[in-house]
Amino acid sequence: MLFTVAPGALFILVFLVLPSVYLVGMAFLSSGPYGLPTLPLSLQSFRELAGFGFLGWSPGNLYTLIRSVWQTLLATALVILLAYPAAYYISTRPARWRPLMLLAIVVPSWTNQVIRSVGWMNIFAPGTPVSDLAALLGLTAPQMGLFPSQFAVIVGLVYNFLPFMVLPLYAAFERLDTEQVEAARDLFASPVAVFRHAVFPQTLPGLMAGIVLVAIPAFGMYVVTELLGGGKATMIGNLVARQFAQASNWPLGAAGAMIMIAVTLIGLKVLRDLGRRLSGDREVVL
Amino acid sequence: MSAGRLENGLRAFWIVLLVFLYAPLAVVVFFSFNSINSSARFAGFSLQWYEQLFRNEAIVAALTNTVVLAMVSTIIAVIIGGLLGYGFYRYRLGRLSWLVWLIYLPVIMPDIVFGIAEMTFFVAINERLGILSPGLGTMVIAHVTFQVPFVALLVNARLLSLDPQLFEACHDLYAGPWQRARFFLLPVLRPAILSSFLLALTLSIDDFVISFFTAGPQSTTLPIYIWSAIKKGVTPEVNAIATLMIGSVFLVAFFSLLVQHGPSGGRPSKGGRRA
Repeated sequence: MLFTVAPGALFILVFLVLPSVYLVGMAFLSSGPYGLPTLPLSLQSFRELAGFGFLGWSPGNLYTLIRSVWQTLLATALVILLAYPAAYYISTRPARWRPLMLLAIVVPSWTNQVIRSVGWMNIFAPGTPVSDLAALLGLTAPQMGLFPSQFAVIVGLVYNFLPFMVLPLYAAFERLDTEQVEAARDLFASPVAVFRHAVFPQTLPGLMAGIVLVAIPAFGMYVVTELLGGGKATMIGNLVARQFAQASNWPLGAAGAMIMIAVTLIGLKVLRDLGRRLSGDREVVL
Repeated sequence: MSAGRLENGLRAFWIVLLVFLYAPLAVVVFFSFNSINSSARFAGFSLQWYEQLFRNEAIVAALTNTVVLAMVSTIIAVIIGGLLGYGFYRYRLGRLSWLVWLIYLPVIMPDIVFGIAEMTFFVAINERLGILSPGLGTMVIAHVTFQVPFVALLVNARLLSLDPQLFEACHDLYAGPWQRARFFLLPVLRPAILSSFLLALTLSIDDFVISFFTAGPQSTTLPIYIWSAIKKGVTPEVNAIATLMIGSVFLVAFFSLLVQHGPSGGRPSKGGRRA
């Protein structure tokens, strides 16, 4: 047992748990010279994070938090809209095609995150056909690219996380009891009613798993917002990262990280309750 | 709504989806062969950016770092994580059972939080003990840390799907620990080990944030190089580096297809790093 469990357990304890504990502690320290953490213990970082600074209260950080939640919800909703038909379509193909189709969905997400954003930077740059079309339609000013913008951030988020929704939904569709669906059809249920009463409840566990896999990393996004977003679409991950780079206030960054984890946990709880209610308490979804 | 119309609609949707998924990658590859410095207009085919790339020592060093980081961390993670997955299965941990829950920690931890936690920890250790100065070493440690849980979970899942009587059969046949590992565990775990190897590799290749925060001045990887290069806009040179990395991912994808259709048929499933 020592031989099998010890190396992994030690690694996780030393390089995962210890750093996390250190970060939590840092949030309750003061910001010293160069923004490095020093004693005494204080709640200054949390106060600053809530917007209380030298010049009184400012809503900037609060806006960033709200924007983070909003952009996460929007991207997740769009991912669900795209993933449902995709997962259904794959599950209705001949069995020998399905692994290849799933691989086609997943492969882009294996490339480096930075490269995926570089791809969209190429497409949304000024003067490209896509940007020219947007300008022609009056969506952007002429000679302007489509990035940096909130639109580009949402596209980037959807692009990054689509596979994480398709895979669990596909797994749910593969196990779908088609007799229920056919029974509903035989009873002249409309397509909407078939989806709502026969398909949706059966794919709910897959949907829930997908939301967890999409929304958690989307909420913590750093790369996409930094590269495609500019100032108007920054999320809390960028706010936190800035405290360890340009702005340099480690305790403030650590406090921001605490808030990120807290919001993530609250989100998981809300999702779990929602899943319970939607499935009529039949089973624990998460 | 007739079944035929639904079918046609879905097929059209599928094609649009594939365009959406592959257009950004295709554009990168396409403009890496552009003879002029533009990603809006293609003037002619040229390999000049690739020639420039291999003459640039910084890029060659970054390429080496990238490959070393991915391979070393993946091999270590598969060994440590595989043993851990087996240990969790084989032994009742009793008072240590909370350890199992710890491996879910990276699941709820955004990678930016993970990255800064590692970075601040390494800095603190380095100040006091003089070890773990930022570089490839710290990057490997950070990568192994987020890879191990996924390897452990995959190997553990495979073991849970086995008939427990097989272990008793080994015992009845007087197999020692070494023989049990060699003739029973390794063969039945081969697909899980292979797919966890591929998963850990893609996790490492995909990562930018954690590398970025744990890197030192001498351990720039290709994604970090690109990150600092595109502050001035996307250049064909950046597209050329990206094309090389996209190519390597397609190679991994090809291998994973082989693994899927191999004799033992284990399926690597990437549920994301936070799966």
